[in-house]
Amino acid sequence: MPRIMTIWLPRWPVQRRLGERPELRSVPVFVCRRERRGVMTIVAWAWALPPRARSTRGDGRSSAPRIPPGMSLAEGMAVLALAHGSRACHMAEVDSDDPAADRAALERLARQCRRFAPIVALEDAERPECIHLDVTGTAGFFGGEESLVRTAAWTLAAHGVHARVAIADTPGAAWAAAHHAERLGRQPAPPFRRPRRFVVVSPGEQATALAALPAAALRIEADVLAALGEVGIDSIGGALKLSRKSLAARFPPTLARRLSQFMGSRAEPLVPTFGEALPQAAHAYDVPVALREMSEDAIVAVLERLVGQCAAPLAARGEGITALQVRFGQYAGASRQGPCPPVVIDVGLYRPALAVRHVVELIRLRMARVRMPREIEGIAVEVVAAAPALCRQRTLFSGASPGASESAAAEVGMLFDRLGGRLGAKAVFEPQLVRDAQPEHAWVGMPPAGGASRTAASARPLAAPAERRPLWLLPRPVLLDVVAIVPAVADAGRPPVRFRHGGQVHDVATAYGPERIETAWWRGPIVRRDYYVVETHAGERLWIFRRLKDGGWFLHGVFA
Amino acid sequence: MVTGGLLEKLLKAGDFAGISPGWREGEAVATGFAPLDQLLPAGGVRRGSLVEWLAGAEASGAAALAAAVACRLAGHAERAAEAAATIIVVDRTGRFHPPAMLSWLERAGAGGRLAPRLVVARPAHEADELWAIDQALRCRGVAAVLAWPRSIHSTAMRRWQLAARASLAVGLFVRPLAARREPSWAEARVAVTARPGGSLAVRRLRLALAGGPWSGEAHLQERSVELGLDLARGCEAMLPPGAAAPSVHEQERIACRAS
Repeated sequence: MPRIMTIWLPRWPVQRRLGERPELRSVPVFVCRRERRGVMTIVAWAWALPPRARSTRGDGRSSAPRIPPGMSLAEGMAVLALAHGSRACHMAEVDSDDPAADRAALERLARQCRRFAPIVALEDAERPECIHLDVTGTAGFFGGEESLVRTAAWTLAAHGVHARVAIADTPGAAWAAAHHAERLGRQPAPPFRRPRRFVVVSPGEQATALAALPAAALRIEADVLAALGEVGIDSIGGALKLSRKSLAARFPPTLARRLSQFMGSRAEPLVPTFGEALPQAAHAYDVPVALREMSEDAIVAVLERLVGQCAAPLAARGEGITALQVRFGQYAGASRQGPCPPVVIDVGLYRPALAVRHVVELIRLRMARVRMPREIEGIAVEVVAAAPALCRQRTLFSGASPGASESAAAEVGMLFDRLGGRLGAKAVFEPQLVRDAQPEHAWVGMPPAGGASRTAASARPLAAPAERRPLWLLPRPVLLDVVAIVPAVADAGRPPVRFRHGGQVHDVATAYGPERIETAWWRGPIVRRDYYVVETHAGERLWIFRRLKDGGWFLHGVFA
Repeated sequence: MVTGGLLEKLLKAGDFAGISPGWREGEAVATGFAPLDQLLPAGGVRRGSLVEWLAGAEASGAAALAAAVACRLAGHAERAAEAAATIIVVDRTGRFHPPAMLSWLERAGAGGRLAPRLVVARPAHEADELWAIDQALRCRGVAAVLAWPRSIHSTAMRRWQLAARASLAVGLFVRPLAARREPSWAEARVAVTARPGGSLAVRRLRLALAGGPWSGEAHLQERSVELGLDLARGCEAMLPPGAAAPSVHEQERIACRAS
């Protein structure tokens, strides 16, 4: 019996935008389609980091506003305003729908999911949100199906992708289980109550395990669903009890087809329908080889050959590699029971590249950070994403020619690749200002674009004058040991004239401020602070604040 | 036969068809701080060199001065190459707060030009920090590398010096004043101590040359200057004459409400 794993990515159009612009996580995001007569219809919406809601349900979880797809933007904003106030509507980001970009991003993600199974396909739908994987026989590599779904869910979560994962006998059953994983999963004890992200339906049990799910989980259209509702059938179990002979006469043919696909009596093959085939290459060793006994040059030679094989077809069509996946087939050895999953290295490039040595260098940098297997059976290299490469004929003379500036930009892009490869992608970023008064959120780190530059006009202004912001900000404010305050004006919140920090006593000579920073309740924990720039008698400048809640003094920044 | 004009062009370019000669003398770029330029041996910061900023204390303003010089170098490189230059900040402590420096960079890119780019690398370990500095200094297109390395082995620093010479990037390292006892390959070591006075937007700094390469001496040279750093614009500011004694608790109320 085949086993299918389905990864559902709820509200994928919004998730894609959040991945590209992380600063949107703190605001409501609406993806809308413009209908006739200019009406904006909501395709998807989400608020990744909503504020604490005032009203909570009985189970302690906050109640999110219900804004279904298809609702007009005006109605959606009204519902949002009811739940979070009109300020939330002012903060909201509205973006126009782009189904092609959504599909392309989903295809890229699907290619990266080949680490779990070789056959990967997108859901057969107009706007796919699911990835189907044929995991027949591959679950053992990950320690069983339960371990596989957990690994898949948390691997995607580590990449900032919110997913629900399910394994069942058929794509239809896995689709239904993934969409209702919260209902199906075992609920942990109340202190650890959290929605389940994965579920496994045992072989041959989809009819019983999923019987209670709503009929909409059969992937049927609204009119078929309404027809079922007219005869009082609202669950999969009820639909399965219907006589198959009567189905064709009473309901549209879609229902019979979907029920057959759900039970597996009608095949639903997974067809990888990726837009354009991306190259891959593999090298299999005759016998498992120990990495310890292999020289680094030998591994590099194999990698160079494989990457070269992948780069050649891309170069022919003027493209370069932007993402690559390397899989080292791990040999478990005779002593261990069961197979081992491959060790996977994902390499991302900030700029499309065709230089084989550069790509292999990035792989080597990542290999130094990954626990490599003792023995490997083979190496596979697959291009996950490609983009048009900038190729320009080199000039004889460099200097201030356009070619020189382009090659310098290319070198900078390669530098970002190397830094990201060794330090981690999140450790290399380009800061961008965000108009937010709270210092901790005054900027966000964006992935540096390879050769792209921004103009001065595109930047956002600083929320406060630059002279009021220190060059060093402590990760957490440090409580100051106040030695002396001005007695007569202590209640007015003047900064202390003497305080102790880092084993030193600082005497304040000058203080500039206060600069009051307050955040509103809808942003989470309320911040109310009076900031001062203080200069000591020695000329050192520090950024301290008084917490208005209790009057405590904290050091938050250093004018280093 | 190579004509005279072409030969002259080849010799002048020194770098053709991507083949770098490996070493060439970088031009001295004015830092925008006249007292600092007078202090530095080359009359400015030489491209392809290393400069150490020895901070008398954590909050002495040495890093701000180094950041302002980095912005100036990036602006100069951008004008020279007609492309955006990049500043790499290697920040192992995770304390670097970019808003102030970003606004300085915006001023450098004003007038429709491409603003110099600021990219931050946050290594987790000291070995990664030294490696990141090395990689950044090797890259053409990087105007300046700003870092706070705690300890630098002279071998590593020599490697950085050669890398910077080849790429013409400038390494700006902010270190504690105690590091002046260590040998260095930096072209200049500037001790920075904060001075009281000034105003909210202007900091008074005292600069002194703390020996040259391989001095190994702890003495500070007699030559020292004082300058004003405009924290709003990241450039030199006029010092108030006489620098009147500062008043305690100069009140100025600004209210910011986060939306």
